[in-house]
Amino acid sequence: MRTLVFIPAWNEAASVAAVIAGVRERLPEADVLVVDDGSTDATAARAREAGATVASLPFNQGLGAALQTGYLYALRERYDFCAHLDADGQHPPGDVAGLLEEVYADRADLVIGSRYRDRGAAESDDYRPTLSRRIGTSVFRFFLTLATRQRFTDTTSGMRAANRRVMALFSQHYSPDFAEIESLQLAVRQGLRVEEVPVRMLERTGGASFLTPLRSAFFIFKGMIVLLVGQFRPRRREPVEPVPLGKARAGQ
Amino acid sequence: MSALLAATQDPKVHLTSQTRVIAALIAVAFMVLILELIRRDRLQERYSVVWFVAGLGMLAGAAFPGLLGTVADLMGVRDTNVALFSIILLLLLGLALNFSVIMSRQAAQITRLAQERALEKAREQAASAEEALEADDEGFEG
Repeated sequence: MRTLVFIPAWNEAASVAAVIAGVRERLPEADVLVVDDGSTDATAARAREAGATVASLPFNQGLGAALQTGYLYALRERYDFCAHLDADGQHPPGDVAGLLEEVYADRADLVIGSRYRDRGAAESDDYRPTLSRRIGTSVFRFFLTLATRQRFTDTTSGMRAANRRVMALFSQHYSPDFAEIESLQLAVRQGLRVEEVPVRMLERTGGASFLTPLRSAFFIFKGMIVLLVGQFRPRRREPVEPVPLGKARAGQ
Repeated sequence: MSALLAATQDPKVHLTSQTRVIAALIAVAFMVLILELIRRDRLQERYSVVWFVAGLGMLAGAAFPGLLGTVADLMGVRDTNVALFSIILLLLLGLALNFSVIMSRQAAQITRLAQERALEKAREQAASAEEALEADDEGFEG
Protein backbone atom coordinates (compact mmCIF):
# COMPACT_ATOMS: atom_id res chain seq x y z
CA MET A 1 0.00 0.00 0.00
CA ARG A 2 1.49 3.32 -1.09
CA THR A 3 0.59 6.79 0.10
CA LEU A 4 1.41 10.13 -1.44
CA VAL A 5 1.31 13.36 0.54
CA PHE A 6 1.38 16.37 -1.75
CA ILE A 7 1.80 20.02 -0.89
CA PRO A 8 0.66 22.75 -3.26
CA ALA A 9 3.06 25.68 -2.89
CA TRP A 10 3.19 29.10 -4.45
CA ASN A 11 6.09 31.23 -3.28
CA GLU A 12 6.37 29.46 0.09
CA ALA A 13 10.15 29.12 0.23
CA ALA A 14 10.14 30.26 3.86
CA SER A 15 7.92 27.49 5.18
CA VAL A 16 7.85 24.62 2.69
CA ALA A 17 10.93 22.82 4.00
CA ALA A 18 9.57 22.69 7.56
CA VAL A 19 6.24 21.29 6.30
CA ILE A 20 8.05 18.57 4.31
CA ALA A 21 10.22 17.71 7.30
CA GLY A 22 7.11 17.47 9.47
CA VAL A 23 5.36 15.15 7.03
CA ARG A 24 8.43 12.94 6.63
CA GLU A 25 8.78 12.69 10.39
CA ARG A 26 5.14 11.87 11.11
CA LEU A 27 4.49 9.77 7.98
CA PRO A 28 7.81 8.12 7.17
CA GLU A 29 6.23 5.58 4.80
CA ALA A 30 4.60 8.20 2.56
CA ASP A 31 6.16 9.78 -0.52
CA VAL A 32 6.13 13.58 -0.53
CA LEU A 33 5.41 15.62 -3.66
CA VAL A 34 5.49 19.40 -3.76
CA VAL A 35 3.42 20.95 -6.55
CA ASP A 36 5.22 24.20 -7.21
CA ASP A 37 2.59 26.45 -8.79
CA GLY A 38 4.88 28.67 -10.82
CA SER A 39 6.75 30.07 -7.83
CA THR A 40 9.19 32.87 -8.54
CA ASP A 41 11.16 32.29 -5.33
CA ALA A 42 13.24 29.32 -4.22
CA THR A 43 10.25 27.11 -3.28
CA ALA A 44 11.20 24.30 -5.69
CA ALA A 45 14.85 24.28 -4.60
CA ARG A 46 13.96 24.30 -0.86
CA ALA A 47 11.52 21.44 -1.45
CA ARG A 48 14.12 19.34 -3.30
CA GLU A 49 16.67 19.99 -0.56
CA ALA A 50 14.11 18.80 1.99
CA GLY A 51 13.82 15.53 0.10
CA ALA A 52 10.51 15.99 -1.72
CA THR A 53 9.80 15.23 -5.34
CA VAL A 54 8.86 18.47 -7.08
CA ALA A 55 6.34 18.97 -9.88
CA SER A 56 6.86 22.51 -11.13
CA LEU A 57 4.08 24.11 -13.15
CA PRO A 58 5.73 26.42 -15.70
CA PHE A 59 3.48 29.33 -14.68
CA ASN A 60 1.05 30.08 -11.88
CA GLN A 61 -2.20 28.24 -12.56
CA GLY A 62 -4.11 28.71 -9.31
CA LEU A 63 -4.66 26.45 -6.33
CA GLY A 64 -7.22 24.26 -8.08
CA ALA A 65 -4.88 23.39 -10.93
CA ALA A 66 -2.04 22.74 -8.45
CA LEU A 67 -4.18 20.37 -6.40
CA GLN A 68 -5.35 18.65 -9.55
CA THR A 69 -1.71 18.13 -10.52
CA GLY A 70 -1.20 16.33 -7.22
CA TYR A 71 -4.26 14.10 -7.72
CA LEU A 72 -3.15 13.40 -11.28
CA TYR A 73 0.34 12.39 -10.09
CA ALA A 74 -1.13 10.12 -7.41
CA LEU A 75 -3.43 8.48 -9.95
CA ARG A 76 -0.80 8.02 -12.65
CA GLU A 77 1.94 6.86 -10.30
CA ARG A 78 -0.52 4.33 -8.90
CA TYR A 79 -0.68 5.41 -5.29
CA ASP A 80 -3.45 3.78 -3.27
CA PHE A 81 -4.10 6.85 -1.13
CA CYS A 82 -3.14 10.48 -1.15
CA ALA A 83 -3.41 13.46 1.15
CA HIS A 84 -2.55 17.11 0.83
CA LEU A 85 -1.92 20.03 3.14
CA ASP A 86 -0.98 23.69 2.79
CA ALA A 87 2.64 24.76 2.42
CA ASP A 88 2.36 27.79 4.71
CA GLY A 89 2.79 25.73 7.88
CA GLN A 90 -0.73 26.30 9.20
CA HIS A 91 -1.56 22.60 9.16
CA PRO A 92 0.17 20.42 11.75
CA PRO A 93 1.63 17.59 9.59
CA GLY A 94 0.77 15.06 12.30
CA ASP A 95 -2.95 15.66 11.70
CA VAL A 96 -2.65 14.25 8.18
CA ALA A 97 -2.17 10.82 9.73
CA GLY A 98 -5.60 11.06 11.38
CA LEU A 99 -7.20 11.90 8.02
CA LEU A 100 -5.43 9.04 6.29
CA GLU A 101 -6.62 6.60 8.98
CA GLU A 102 -10.19 7.20 7.81
CA VAL A 103 -9.49 6.39 4.15
CA TYR A 104 -7.23 3.48 5.07
CA ALA A 105 -10.14 1.99 7.05
CA ASP A 106 -12.44 2.70 4.06
CA ARG A 107 -14.84 4.71 6.22
CA ALA A 108 -14.80 7.49 3.64
CA ASP A 109 -13.57 8.22 0.11
CA LEU A 110 -12.62 11.81 0.89
CA VAL A 111 -11.74 13.16 4.32
CA ILE A 112 -11.61 16.87 5.10
CA GLY A 113 -9.58 18.29 7.95
CA SER A 114 -11.92 20.75 9.67
CA ARG A 115 -10.70 23.65 11.77
CA TYR A 116 -14.16 24.22 13.19
CA ARG A 117 -15.51 20.80 14.07
CA ASP A 118 -15.34 19.86 17.77
CA ARG A 119 -13.18 22.78 18.72
CA GLY A 120 -12.74 21.57 22.28
CA ALA A 121 -11.52 18.18 21.24
CA ALA A 122 -9.07 19.60 18.77
CA GLU A 123 -7.87 22.34 21.10
CA SER A 124 -7.70 24.85 18.29
CA ASP A 125 -7.53 27.90 20.53
CA ASP A 126 -4.34 29.01 18.87
CA TYR A 127 -6.17 29.73 15.60
CA ARG A 128 -8.33 32.87 15.38
CA PRO A 129 -9.81 33.57 11.93
CA THR A 130 -10.35 37.14 10.77
CA LEU A 131 -13.86 38.62 10.53
CA SER A 132 -14.10 38.45 6.73
CA ARG A 133 -12.94 34.85 6.85
CA ARG A 134 -15.55 34.05 9.48
CA ILE A 135 -18.31 35.60 7.35
CA GLY A 136 -17.15 33.73 4.26
CA THR A 137 -16.94 30.50 6.23
CA SER A 138 -20.51 30.74 7.50
CA VAL A 139 -21.93 31.72 4.11
CA PHE A 140 -20.21 28.82 2.37
CA ARG A 141 -21.09 26.46 5.19
CA PHE A 142 -24.77 27.37 4.84
CA PHE A 143 -24.95 27.08 1.07
CA LEU A 144 -22.82 23.98 0.79
CA THR A 145 -24.93 22.24 3.41
CA LEU A 146 -28.01 23.33 1.47
CA ALA A 147 -26.54 22.06 -1.81
CA THR A 148 -25.26 18.72 -0.55
CA ARG A 149 -27.67 18.06 2.33
CA GLN A 150 -24.64 17.09 4.36
CA ARG A 151 -23.20 19.11 7.22
CA PHE A 152 -19.84 20.68 6.49
CA THR A 153 -18.13 22.96 8.98
CA ASP A 154 -14.93 23.78 7.11
CA THR A 155 -15.65 24.25 3.42
CA THR A 156 -12.34 25.79 2.42
CA SER A 157 -10.02 23.42 4.22
CA GLY A 158 -6.78 22.73 2.38
CA MET A 159 -6.06 19.51 4.26
CA ARG A 160 -7.58 16.37 2.80
CA ALA A 161 -7.07 12.67 2.38
CA ALA A 162 -8.48 10.62 -0.49
CA ASN A 163 -8.58 7.23 -2.15
CA ARG A 164 -8.37 6.34 -5.83
CA ARG A 165 -12.02 7.06 -6.58
CA VAL A 166 -11.43 10.65 -5.58
CA MET A 167 -8.14 10.80 -7.51
CA ALA A 168 -9.95 9.63 -10.65
CA LEU A 169 -12.72 12.20 -10.20
CA PHE A 170 -10.56 15.18 -9.25
CA SER A 171 -7.91 14.57 -11.88
CA GLN A 172 -10.64 14.96 -14.50
CA HIS A 173 -12.95 17.56 -12.98
CA TYR A 174 -11.48 20.21 -10.76
CA SER A 175 -12.23 23.87 -11.08
CA PRO A 176 -8.98 25.75 -11.63
CA ASP A 177 -9.95 28.75 -9.53
CA PHE A 178 -12.60 27.54 -7.13
CA ALA A 179 -11.10 24.39 -5.84
CA GLU A 180 -12.36 23.61 -2.36
CA ILE A 181 -16.08 24.24 -2.37
CA GLU A 182 -16.89 23.02 -5.83
CA SER A 183 -14.89 19.85 -5.31
CA LEU A 184 -16.85 19.01 -2.14
CA GLN A 185 -20.13 19.55 -3.95
CA LEU A 186 -18.90 17.49 -6.87
CA ALA A 187 -17.74 14.61 -4.68
CA VAL A 188 -21.04 14.42 -2.79
CA ARG A 189 -23.05 14.64 -6.00
CA GLN A 190 -20.99 11.82 -7.49
CA GLY A 191 -22.01 9.60 -4.61
CA LEU A 192 -18.66 9.61 -2.80
CA ARG A 193 -18.50 9.36 0.97
CA VAL A 194 -17.13 12.62 2.33
CA GLU A 195 -16.28 12.98 5.99
CA GLU A 196 -14.84 15.67 8.24
CA VAL A 197 -12.22 15.13 10.89
CA PRO A 198 -11.23 17.85 13.37
CA VAL A 199 -7.74 19.27 12.94
CA ARG A 200 -5.80 22.03 14.60
CA MET A 201 -4.75 25.19 12.83
CA LEU A 202 -1.53 27.02 13.58
CA GLU A 203 -0.54 30.61 12.89
CA ARG A 204 1.29 31.17 9.63
CA THR A 205 5.01 30.58 9.79
CA GLY A 206 5.75 32.59 6.66
CA GLY A 207 4.11 34.63 3.89
CA ALA A 208 0.83 36.53 4.16
CA SER A 209 -2.81 35.58 3.62
CA PHE A 210 -4.18 36.74 0.30
CA LEU A 211 -7.58 37.73 1.71
CA THR A 212 -8.58 41.39 1.91
CA PRO A 213 -12.23 42.36 2.67
CA LEU A 214 -12.93 43.27 -0.97
CA ARG A 215 -11.35 40.08 -2.22
CA SER A 216 -13.31 38.13 0.37
CA ALA A 217 -16.57 39.63 -0.87
CA PHE A 218 -15.72 38.80 -4.46
CA PHE A 219 -14.62 35.33 -3.36
CA ILE A 220 -17.95 34.74 -1.64
CA PHE A 221 -19.93 36.05 -4.62
CA LYS A 222 -18.00 33.86 -7.04
CA GLY A 223 -18.36 30.87 -4.75
CA MET A 224 -22.13 31.20 -4.68
CA ILE A 225 -22.32 31.32 -8.48
CA VAL A 226 -20.07 28.27 -8.66
CA LEU A 227 -22.32 26.40 -6.19
CA LEU A 228 -25.44 27.39 -8.12
CA VAL A 229 -23.98 26.21 -11.43
CA GLY A 230 -22.75 23.05 -9.74
CA GLN A 231 -26.32 22.16 -8.78
CA PHE A 232 -27.13 21.81 -12.47
CA ARG A 233 -24.31 19.42 -13.22
CA PRO A 234 -25.38 15.82 -13.84
CA ARG A 235 -25.69 13.80 -10.66
CA ARG A 236 -24.62 10.21 -10.45
CA ARG A 237 -26.93 8.04 -8.39
CA GLU A 238 -24.85 4.92 -7.93
CA PRO A 239 -21.51 5.20 -6.11
CA VAL A 240 -18.41 5.46 -8.25
CA GLU A 241 -16.74 2.12 -8.88
CA PRO A 242 -13.36 1.66 -7.25
CA VAL A 243 -10.61 2.43 -9.73
CA PRO A 244 -8.24 -0.51 -10.27
CA LEU A 245 -4.59 0.36 -10.07
CA GLY A 246 -3.71 -0.83 -13.56
CA LYS A 247 -6.38 1.14 -15.36
CA ALA A 248 -5.08 4.64 -14.84
CA ARG A 249 -2.22 4.63 -17.28
CA ALA A 250 -4.09 2.82 -20.05
CA GLY A 251 -6.99 5.25 -19.79
CA GLN A 252 -4.87 8.34 -20.18
CA MET B 1 -33.58 68.45 -39.80
CA SER B 2 -36.55 67.79 -42.06
CA ALA B 3 -34.49 65.24 -43.97
CA LEU B 4 -33.69 63.44 -40.73
CA LEU B 5 -37.37 63.40 -39.74
CA ALA B 6 -38.33 62.06 -43.16
CA ALA B 7 -35.72 59.33 -42.84
CA THR B 8 -36.95 58.14 -39.44
CA GLN B 9 -40.60 58.21 -40.42
CA ASP B 10 -40.17 56.45 -43.73
CA PRO B 11 -40.04 52.66 -43.35
CA LYS B 12 -38.22 52.28 -46.67
CA VAL B 13 -34.44 52.50 -46.80
CA HIS B 14 -32.96 55.31 -48.82
CA LEU B 15 -29.29 54.83 -49.44
CA THR B 16 -27.56 57.16 -51.84
CA SER B 17 -25.38 55.43 -54.40
CA GLN B 18 -22.39 57.13 -52.75
CA THR B 19 -23.13 55.44 -49.38
CA ARG B 20 -23.66 52.12 -51.11
CA VAL B 21 -20.33 52.32 -52.93
CA ILE B 22 -18.51 53.22 -49.69
CA ALA B 23 -20.23 50.39 -47.78
CA ALA B 24 -19.35 47.91 -50.54
CA LEU B 25 -15.73 49.09 -50.56
CA ILE B 26 -15.49 48.68 -46.78
CA ALA B 27 -16.98 45.19 -47.02
CA VAL B 28 -14.53 44.18 -49.76
CA ALA B 29 -11.59 45.71 -47.85
CA PHE B 30 -12.68 43.79 -44.75
CA MET B 31 -12.71 40.49 -46.61
CA VAL B 32 -9.34 41.23 -48.20
CA LEU B 33 -8.00 41.92 -44.69
CA ILE B 34 -9.32 38.52 -43.51
CA LEU B 35 -7.68 36.80 -46.48
CA GLU B 36 -4.42 38.62 -45.81
CA LEU B 37 -4.48 37.61 -42.12
CA ILE B 38 -4.97 33.97 -43.09
CA ARG B 39 -2.19 34.20 -45.67
CA ARG B 40 0.22 35.52 -43.02
CA ASP B 41 -0.80 32.82 -40.51
CA ARG B 42 -2.18 35.44 -38.15
CA LEU B 43 -5.68 33.96 -38.32
CA GLN B 44 -6.65 30.30 -38.54
CA GLU B 45 -9.12 29.28 -41.23
CA ARG B 46 -11.52 27.77 -38.73
CA TYR B 47 -11.94 31.13 -36.99
CA SER B 48 -12.20 33.06 -40.26
CA VAL B 49 -15.46 31.56 -41.56
CA VAL B 50 -17.63 33.67 -39.28
CA TRP B 51 -15.83 36.85 -40.35
CA PHE B 52 -16.26 36.01 -44.03
CA VAL B 53 -19.97 35.57 -43.46
CA ALA B 54 -20.01 38.98 -41.75
CA GLY B 55 -18.18 40.53 -44.72
CA LEU B 56 -20.59 38.94 -47.18
CA GLY B 57 -23.51 40.25 -45.13
CA MET B 58 -22.08 43.76 -45.33
CA LEU B 59 -21.65 43.41 -49.08
CA ALA B 60 -25.19 42.12 -49.51
CA GLY B 61 -26.53 45.04 -47.50
CA ALA B 62 -24.71 47.47 -49.75
CA ALA B 63 -25.68 45.76 -52.99
CA PHE B 64 -29.36 45.23 -52.18
CA PRO B 65 -30.61 48.00 -49.88
CA GLY B 66 -34.13 46.54 -50.07
CA LEU B 67 -32.86 43.49 -48.17
CA LEU B 68 -32.56 45.39 -44.91
CA GLY B 69 -36.12 46.70 -45.21
CA THR B 70 -37.39 43.16 -45.80
CA VAL B 71 -35.53 41.89 -42.72
CA ALA B 72 -36.92 44.76 -40.64
CA ASP B 73 -40.44 43.92 -41.83
CA LEU B 74 -39.89 40.27 -40.91
CA MET B 75 -38.78 41.33 -37.41
CA GLY B 76 -41.81 43.58 -37.11
CA VAL B 77 -39.56 46.60 -36.62
CA ARG B 78 -40.66 49.76 -38.38
CA ASP B 79 -37.33 51.54 -38.14
CA THR B 80 -34.75 49.78 -40.30
CA ASN B 81 -31.92 51.42 -38.36
CA VAL B 82 -33.13 49.78 -35.16
CA ALA B 83 -33.37 46.46 -36.97
CA LEU B 84 -29.85 46.88 -38.33
CA PHE B 85 -28.34 47.77 -34.96
CA SER B 86 -30.23 45.00 -33.16
CA ILE B 87 -29.00 42.38 -35.59
CA ILE B 88 -25.42 43.59 -35.40
CA LEU B 89 -25.54 43.82 -31.60
CA LEU B 90 -26.88 40.28 -31.25
CA LEU B 91 -24.30 38.96 -33.71
CA LEU B 92 -21.45 40.62 -31.79
CA LEU B 93 -22.84 39.31 -28.49
CA GLY B 94 -22.91 35.80 -29.93
CA LEU B 95 -19.38 36.18 -31.26
CA ALA B 96 -18.06 37.45 -27.90
CA LEU B 97 -19.67 34.47 -26.14
CA ASN B 98 -18.21 32.14 -28.75
CA PHE B 99 -14.75 33.53 -28.01
CA SER B 100 -15.24 33.10 -24.25
CA VAL B 101 -16.09 29.45 -24.86
CA ILE B 102 -13.01 28.99 -27.05
CA MET B 103 -10.91 30.82 -24.45
CA SER B 104 -12.16 28.58 -21.64
CA ARG B 105 -11.36 25.48 -23.65
CA GLN B 106 -7.88 26.74 -24.40
CA ALA B 107 -7.29 27.74 -20.76
CA ALA B 108 -8.17 24.18 -19.73
CA GLN B 109 -5.85 22.81 -22.41
CA ILE B 110 -2.98 25.06 -21.29
CA THR B 111 -3.49 23.99 -17.67
CA ARG B 112 -3.42 20.32 -18.63
CA LEU B 113 -0.31 20.89 -20.74
CA ALA B 114 1.44 22.61 -17.82
CA GLN B 115 0.42 19.75 -15.52
CA GLU B 116 1.68 17.10 -17.92
CA ARG B 117 5.04 18.83 -18.15
CA ALA B 118 5.26 19.21 -14.36
CA LEU B 119 4.40 15.52 -13.87
CA GLU B 120 6.99 14.48 -16.43
CA LYS B 121 9.70 16.42 -14.60
CA ALA B 122 8.61 15.07 -11.21
CA ARG B 123 8.65 11.52 -12.57
CA GLU B 124 12.17 12.05 -13.88
CA GLN B 125 13.29 13.34 -10.51
CA ALA B 126 11.67 10.44 -8.65
CA ALA B 127 13.21 7.92 -11.08
CA SER B 128 16.71 9.35 -10.75
CA ALA B 129 16.38 9.40 -6.96
CA GLU B 130 15.41 5.72 -7.07
CA GLU B 131 18.38 4.94 -9.31
CA ALA B 132 20.73 6.70 -6.92
CA LEU B 133 19.28 4.66 -4.07
CA GLU B 134 19.76 1.41 -5.98
CA ALA B 135 23.32 2.38 -6.86
CA ASP B 136 23.97 2.98 -3.17
CA ASP B 137 22.60 -0.46 -2.28
CA GLU B 138 24.82 -2.12 -4.87
CA GLY B 139 27.78 -0.22 -3.46
CA PHE B 140 27.10 -1.65 -0.02
CA GLU B 141 26.85 -5.21 -1.33
CA GLY B 142 30.08 -4.96 -3.36
